[in-house]
Amino acid sequence: MNINATLIAQAVVMIVFVAICWRYIYPPILAVMQEREKKISDGLEAAKKADDSLEEAKLAFDKELDQAKIEAAEILEKANARATKIVSDASTKAEAEAEKIMTSASTAIENETNKAKEELRQQMSDIIIDTTQKILGDEISKEKHQEILKKAAEEL
Amino acid sequence: MASELTTESYINHHLTNLTCGKTPSGWTCDPYKVEQMGFWAFHVDSLIWSVLLGGIFITVFKMAMPKNLDSSSAPKGTQNFVEMCIEFVEDNVQSLFGSAKNPLIAPLALTVFVWILLMNLMDLVPVDFLPVLAGHIAFELFGYNEATGAGVAWIKGPESLYFKVVPTTDPNITLGMAFAVFVLTIYYSITVKGLKAFIAELTLHPFGKWLMPVNFVLEMVNFIAKPISLGLRLFGNLYAGEMIFILIALMLFFSSIPIGIMGFGLHLVWALFHILIVALQAFIFMALTIAYLAMAHETEEH
Repeated sequence: MNINATLIAQAVVMIVFVAICWRYIYPPILAVMQEREKKISDGLEAAKKADDSLEEAKLAFDKELDQAKIEAAEILEKANARATKIVSDASTKAEAEAEKIMTSASTAIENETNKAKEELRQQMSDIIIDTTQKILGDEISKEKHQEILKKAAEEL
Repeated sequence: MASELTTESYINHHLTNLTCGKTPSGWTCDPYKVEQMGFWAFHVDSLIWSVLLGGIFITVFKMAMPKNLDSSSAPKGTQNFVEMCIEFVEDNVQSLFGSAKNPLIAPLALTVFVWILLMNLMDLVPVDFLPVLAGHIAFELFGYNEATGAGVAWIKGPESLYFKVVPTTDPNITLGMAFAVFVLTIYYSITVKGLKAFIAELTLHPFGKWLMPVNFVLEMVNFIAKPISLGLRLFGNLYAGEMIFILIALMLFFSSIPIGIMGFGLHLVWALFHILIVALQAFIFMALTIAYLAMAHETEEH
């Protein structure tokens, strides 16, 4: 176990190795590691930010959706009201039309009735005259008693 | 040399480094001339493994990163492992070093941790594999041939080459690293606090300025004890672990069959337990390195 120059040689060798490691090995590796660490933490932060903005977007979306729902409900209501109005208008119009038709129909019927009545009267007077002629012979001629017949017809 | 294998020679063989140094008759790695080498001798095996494993660390960490570094692509394969290591070190530096910013601390801690971990892991390679292999290779390549006189004179057989594969079981290696940390500690103490404050820290505590010499002796003990304990802690743990592996290996070779079988079981158990020590000691060395350097950056507040 003798101490000799090996000690000095080893100390020199160690200083050389430490110098190599200090100069060429350690700093580049550490730099890469630190850079990567930074990138990862940046990435995580970005992910967190994206998460937050997603949350925000979701909230905005919900708001919009609610608004749209309300609007849709409003539109629906309006449409309903309008439809009701149209229907009621139409039915009013139809009723009026129907009344009109009824009125005109009843007028026509009255006219017809009057016409028929007139005809009947005419016929009746003809029949009466015919019959009277047959009974009285030729005593009464149409021409002679025109005046009377006219009166009778008017009385009928 | 070890012509007959005894327990003692086996253990000694495993605890001796391949030492090269200058003797009066020139440079040699002859284990019998270690005494003549004095201080200027090198444990070549420890240094080879230490440099090799440090090189593996640098290469793996360099290769793991894709050619054009890009932070937007997902990391894969070895890059994951490398980034895991760096994150681990970065966390420890953050918690131990605190606010003071020094870009050298984290690379230093990473190097210390991974390198020591790799060196400690050599302990888990079965004790005889690499030394015997190295011995045979050396004998094949440079073995001494008595007939022709070729080759290196002291390599008389595969076992004349000593070869230790766990650098951290060599106190030179662990103390060498602790020494480098110590130098850095002094350097930063002086540059960050200023020379005056540094000297004041060593001399004005704990007894005030009238007992300066006493303070200095006390603080100096405290100051020197840090690197020594740092190096010896790692060495002691790994040396003890290695020692137990050697003793277990002995059970396989020098005993009866039942004990040999028991040795296999023990080896497994100790190896599993040793994984813990390997990682723990690497971590402790790193943590203390950071802590000592943090102290060097602390500006006075006693």
